[in-house]
Amino acid sequence: MTEAEERQKWVDLNMGPQHPSTHGVLRLKVKLDGEIVKELEPVIGYLHRNAEKICELDYYCDSIIYFDRMDYVAAMNMEVGYLEAAEKLLGIPPPERVQWIRVIMAELSRVASHLVWTGAFGLDLGMLTPFFYAFIEREKILKIFTEVSGSRQEVNYMSIGGVYQDFNEKIVQEINEFCDQFPKKLEDMYDLFTKNDIFISRNKGIGVLPKEVALDYAVTGPMLRASGVPYDVRKAEPYLVYDKVNFDIPVSQKGDNLARFLVRFEEMRQSIKIVKQAISKLPEGPFFNPKAKKSLMIRLRGEGDVYARTESSKGELGVYIVGDGSVKPYRLRVRSPTLRNLSVLRYLAKDQMIADVVAISGTIDLVFGEVDR
Amino acid sequence: MISVAEILEETKGKDGRRILKVDKDNFLQLMEELKEQGFDHLSLITAVDWRDRIELVYHLHNMENDNYVVVKSDTLNNVFPSVVHLWTSADWEEREQWDMMGVWFDGHANLRRLFLPESWTGHPLRKNYDLSKVQYINMDDEGNDYATFDPGDGW
Repeated sequence: MTEAEERQKWVDLNMGPQHPSTHGVLRLKVKLDGEIVKELEPVIGYLHRNAEKICELDYYCDSIIYFDRMDYVAAMNMEVGYLEAAEKLLGIPPPERVQWIRVIMAELSRVASHLVWTGAFGLDLGMLTPFFYAFIEREKILKIFTEVSGSRQEVNYMSIGGVYQDFNEKIVQEINEFCDQFPKKLEDMYDLFTKNDIFISRNKGIGVLPKEVALDYAVTGPMLRASGVPYDVRKAEPYLVYDKVNFDIPVSQKGDNLARFLVRFEEMRQSIKIVKQAISKLPEGPFFNPKAKKSLMIRLRGEGDVYARTESSKGELGVYIVGDGSVKPYRLRVRSPTLRNLSVLRYLAKDQMIADVVAISGTIDLVFGEVDR
Repeated sequence: MISVAEILEETKGKDGRRILKVDKDNFLQLMEELKEQGFDHLSLITAVDWRDRIELVYHLHNMENDNYVVVKSDTLNNVFPSVVHLWTSADWEEREQWDMMGVWFDGHANLRRLFLPESWTGHPLRKNYDLSKVQYINMDDEGNDYATFDPGDGW
């Protein structure tokens, strides 16, 4: 049979944009031969708000809330990413206490984000139980966020040169309590997954992403580390005070679904390790830079261009800001990690079963606020 | 190796990264050489609209030794050579820049809009894009999105 005749047999299938297991408004155009996926094309843009344009129209300090709404399950990580770039451009370094506070918040946010992923990934594979375990723990983190910022998800906690509110005794105690009880719960969740034969057989050896392909598609984050590249911006180009804390980068050589699962779980353990160290090392001092007082905030001017990269929960978040000397950025560009991670799906899904596409897209950890921006 | 004279300017940015400025004609040759030098990771493509010209900024990254290089180049006629054959990640990056900034990448086999529907008028990140003209999106019988200026036709 020639290739053209072969293609005649293929069936077109549309998944989404409202498919419950696509984690948002992802539409997949799939060509099927029986149950085998032959071609796959993601259609994105349903949540597109053009945050880059909105940021161009606003003062430097206003853009933070749009970064919250990009990756809405890990808002603190996004704020850290933007502020790394903006503070370098405007020349307003945060005081040391702020840097430690940001590390604590970014790591808690990373755990919260991975917990959402844990729950949703379980749901993808038809496991309802881990979802509740994960969300109970996540709610405790969101409670800490509410305590410091007044908001659960879109926190708007950090600002240029500082944070909205200093840590008090009660918050430190709450974070300590969370860190003490969480590892036990995490191991419970881990057992729920790894002692389940169906889970293992649906993930082991499925969706293998070789190292070279991952680099070619610019995949970063847990997905890249699961493919055997020990690359983490926190180690490669330490920002904030990540060079003063002790943690490991989990790496797996397998590159399959299970490897990505294991890497994310190990990352949560490492994050808790970082939070514990940061809480014990938290120095005294001011919680904002006096150069960026509220009344001066909208008069901040930036000139030149700055690219800052940070490790968000999904991968390498890069923010590139070009300033022309006015109070608004001339051009702001976001390197969202999930967009690049999603682009590799067409490679991963090829010649796989249609049911595995759901499992594979689950391990990418998609958040559409960030993909579409 | 591209001769030093062909690199217009080598500077260090505010963030300490190496910036290479290159002419549009020598751009592809430089990128090929950088790829051979081990820059296996095309991190980001940014187009900046300076009204009289469009500046393209490429962030390249070497995973082995964590080396970073920024390549900048200008285009006056909104056409630029594509680098998809060097890095697959350039595929969506270039589609996004075409969508948002209207830079046509020569040599890209599938240069369609990434986020907006194909019939959208204008490129939103251009400085002369008129934000007061509202466009509405609707779906045709085939299930594809299209853009229209008519509010009655939109959602």
